[in-house]
Amino acid sequence: MKKSALRRQAYDEPLWWGLFSAGGVCFAVVVPAAILFLALLIPLGVVSLDAERARSLLFSLPGILFVGAVVCLPLFHAAHRIRHGLFDLRLGRDKPNKWLTYGGAALLSAVALGGVLLGMLQ
Amino acid sequence: MQKSSDALPPLKRTWWLKHRYFVAYMVREATVLPLLFFAACLIAGMIALLRSDAAWSSWLEFMSAAPVLMLNGLALVASLYHAWTFFQLFPRVMPLRIAGRTLPSQAIVAGQWAGVVLVLLLFVWLFTGGAR
Repeated sequence: MKKSALRRQAYDEPLWWGLFSAGGVCFAVVVPAAILFLALLIPLGVVSLDAERARSLLFSLPGILFVGAVVCLPLFHAAHRIRHGLFDLRLGRDKPNKWLTYGGAALLSAVALGGVLLGMLQ
Repeated sequence: MQKSSDALPPLKRTWWLKHRYFVAYMVREATVLPLLFFAACLIAGMIALLRSDAAWSSWLEFMSAAPVLMLNGLALVASLYHAWTFFQLFPRVMPLRIAGRTLPSQAIVAGQWAGVVLVLLLFVWLFTGGAR
């Protein structure tokens, strides 16, 4: 029993690693510009974005790509790092941590993508 | 169930404070924490757009509060720190060869920064009236 558990292959790891890598690229290449505009320049009033324009940009096919690159994939990147960070700090156990981190990323991704689809239907 | 990680000699929770390289590693790992805050802000903004114009206005007001701006400013610095370290890592992990010659790593790093600038220009075009 113990021996077979030790030899158990982690078949899911390539998936998490793939999402982590893709998210890492998005975090580095796409996220800086998104933060600069959406979280700094627009709230500061340097660039203006009214609700109507924001809806037409976000609730569209490019909007789905935007949410995938700025929200979903970076969330899975963050989940992977937090999971390993918890391991590094010896907090919790890996199995529930995996559910918590990847589950959280999946849930928030579903909310974000669902929101775009809902907006497209409105 | 015995995990292979449990077989390692036990480390103290503060092991990473013992060397500046370990601290730098943990700081790099922590760059995702302000990113989470930014992602949560974006999801809140999307929900505001789904609700009403008034909700969007109050989202903008929330986003312009000083602590929120500071956290998102930190998120920008964190994303650039992640980019800076990640771009240097990439040519070491995956050296690119074209026509039998290895591409110099500076060229790969420069190419990735060019990607960041390209996305920035796309946002400038989108938000300054170019795409209207």
